Amino acid sequence: MPRLSGLQKDVLVLYRRCLRACRAKPADTRSNFQAFARREFEKNMALNKKDFSTIEFMLRKGTRQLEIYEAPGVTNIAG
Amino acid sequence: MYRTALLRSIKCAAQATSRVQRPAIQTAFRAPFVQSRISTPATSISAIRCYASSSGLGQEEVTGRIVDLLKNFDKVQDPTKLSPSSHFTNDLGLDSLDTVEVVMAIEEEFSIEIPDKDADAIHSVTQAVDYIMAQPDAH
Repeated sequence: MPRLSGLQKDVLVLYRRCLRACRAKPADTRSNFQAFARREFEKNMALNKKDFSTIEFMLRKGTRQLEIYEAPGVTNIAG
Repeated sequence: MYRTALLRSIKCAAQATSRVQRPAIQTAFRAPFVQSRISTPATSISAIRCYASSSGLGQEEVTGRIVDLLKNFDKVQDPTKLSPSSHFTNDLGLDSLDTVEVVMAIEEEFSIEIPDKDADAIHSVTQAVDYIMAQPDAH
């Protein structure tokens, strides 16, 4: 694998945080959350890796989204 | 109270010395028998499982469990290339997000938590096995 830039690593760190947050969800809906996280990242997979400002914006957006879905009150999501 | 404690300890010490002296006399007569009696406790201690010691994960066991885990991972494109030395991206065709998922699955399998810095460095089965072997609390 080619060496990743700092920004690319940040993206992977966010994805890892998302997957860790999924573990706190009920076992029967956990796969829905995992699929949702994966889909959110795949939406922007085609983004040019030099498009720093967009990626940074998406990272902030993703972090905020994670904070919302992380709340214990959220128990299911459209898989 | 202090005096009774002192007396008791003296009594205990006296008993201990007399107990120690007796086998010493026995050794003079039948040394081999006493020797075997001393060696038995040592072997029985080794049979006790000490929970503080490492669980003793073997390299083959760790490799086997990781390969099994990858076998069940549906995003592996070419399962025939799956081997203890395969690289996640080059051999198995996984992208960086899949790699994160695999490392998270390994975390769950061995019930440890891999920090981000170390998790970023794991790109192949060999590296994962080496990392797990270096973790004393992996099981």
